[in-house]
Amino acid sequence: MEELIAQGAESVILKIERWNQYFVLKWRQSKPYLFKDIDSHLRKTRTSRECKMLSVARSLGVRTPAVYAVNLSDYTILMDYIEGTQFKQIADTLTENQLKEFCREFGHSIALLHKGDVVHGDPTTSNLIVDSKSHLWLVDFGLSEMNATVEMKGVDLHLIQRALETTHWELQECMLEATIKGYSDSLGKEAKDTLSRMKEIRERGRYH
Amino acid sequence: MVLICLGLEGTAHSFGAGIVTDDGKVLSNEWDMLKPAQGGIHPREASRHHSDLGPSIIKNTLEKAGINYNDINLIAFSRGPGLGPCLRATATMARTLSLKLDVPLVDVNHCVAHIEIGCLESRFKDPVTVYVSGGNSQVIAYAGGRFRTFGETLDIAIGNMLDVLGRELGMGFPAGPIVEKLAKQGTNYHSLPYSVKGMDLSYSGMLTAAKKLFSEGISIPDICFSVQETAFGMLAEIAERALAHTKKQELLLTGGVARNNRLTEMLEGVSKRHDVKFHRVTPSLAGDQGAMIAWNGILQFKAGRTIEINDSQVLPKWRTDEQDILWRT
Repeated sequence: MEELIAQGAESVILKIERWNQYFVLKWRQSKPYLFKDIDSHLRKTRTSRECKMLSVARSLGVRTPAVYAVNLSDYTILMDYIEGTQFKQIADTLTENQLKEFCREFGHSIALLHKGDVVHGDPTTSNLIVDSKSHLWLVDFGLSEMNATVEMKGVDLHLIQRALETTHWELQECMLEATIKGYSDSLGKEAKDTLSRMKEIRERGRYH
Repeated sequence: MVLICLGLEGTAHSFGAGIVTDDGKVLSNEWDMLKPAQGGIHPREASRHHSDLGPSIIKNTLEKAGINYNDINLIAFSRGPGLGPCLRATATMARTLSLKLDVPLVDVNHCVAHIEIGCLESRFKDPVTVYVSGGNSQVIAYAGGRFRTFGETLDIAIGNMLDVLGRELGMGFPAGPIVEKLAKQGTNYHSLPYSVKGMDLSYSGMLTAAKKLFSEGISIPDICFSVQETAFGMLAEIAERALAHTKKQELLLTGGVARNNRLTEMLEGVSKRHDVKFHRVTPSLAGDQGAMIAWNGILQFKAGRTIEINDSQVLPKWRTDEQDILWRT
């Protein structure tokens, strides 16, 4: 069996059954509008990077799907299927306390990555999955990077703020505050630099 | 009776004055762009340009529209975001006219105006907009009562990047059209940093690497080709991410850099992949000009928003998502 779970901007996510178990097959398709060298370079590097970073993130204590196979000739990754719902879809159905709890957990996960000098690269609420035990899983590591600098971590936080303001505008303040609390509590003093960099980044790219 | 609005635009190096009616007709749209002899735009010089040429541009636009000062029912001006001195010069003219003619004043957000004039032309209802110019590179869409920036540049805007590169390669200003022309002669792609972060992007690393290619003796057409493919590829990707995220059915391309055919081709490719409508705004309405300010002024006025002169100080850092979009709710 094969079931299409999502058609994203850069990949197709399929739920498949093998060995009496469900898996996710993530396939990065070709984009005909891109110059062919760029297209194949992106598909290749993002596939191999995602495969590696899912494991790196797990070694840092973040819940991520385990990888079973990677194929760099057709740009696919076979990984764990996480039974659950995107956090994006349930955020406005939760009580304020539940919402804050998940956001603190989200901030905590990002802090674990940053502590290990890793950035996620696309930390949106679509890339968070809540399972039946209310555990939070982080997915989609195609834009993730190692040896992250303060700047890169600041961008990661900036992207969280951006995702909250564009997708959860009514809850953004409460969600951002709880996420930053979770982040700061886990990271301690180190959080100060990245948080002030986040504010600085927000002011860039605009007129001065 | 038809409502006639005079819109004044002056956020950066262009000053424009346009006349638009409330049934969506652009009666006239005159502007002038400051072209620095060398280097970039100096805010003070640009503001002087606006105050020197503004009155005659306004006069011309009235003549072209075939109306008198007394026919104007409404004055709209670009309140921000933009360069402080330029905004102040423009706002001063708008306030003066509003007082003198005793007609209401409406404050318009420059970025929102770009989107709305694009919607007027394309008849799009609710697009994802790619707004690319000298000072802006943003992907914007309407959500929850406001226009929200889903993605933008983390450092320099696409037009600015092309101009800085052009200066390095010995081109005139603006460099975009020259880069586009030379890129067609390029045959070899040289790898450049491709930097997409979430729905944001960054051009500074790519610019540095492109300058390095030049110092290594790579031909200018090859550099232009490589830069266009990389820079526009990044834009197309964040546009695609925004479409996939918002599930909207229309993609609008506007701003001065919308003139570029290769960028247009790529965004057409994006729209095909997602089976959505695509429109590129005509150059005369895509660049910075007064008609877009006038049209947005009408929309805002009809939704009941005008501004008192005492409250009309300019907002150089006015974010797109800081304004309630009354006419869409």
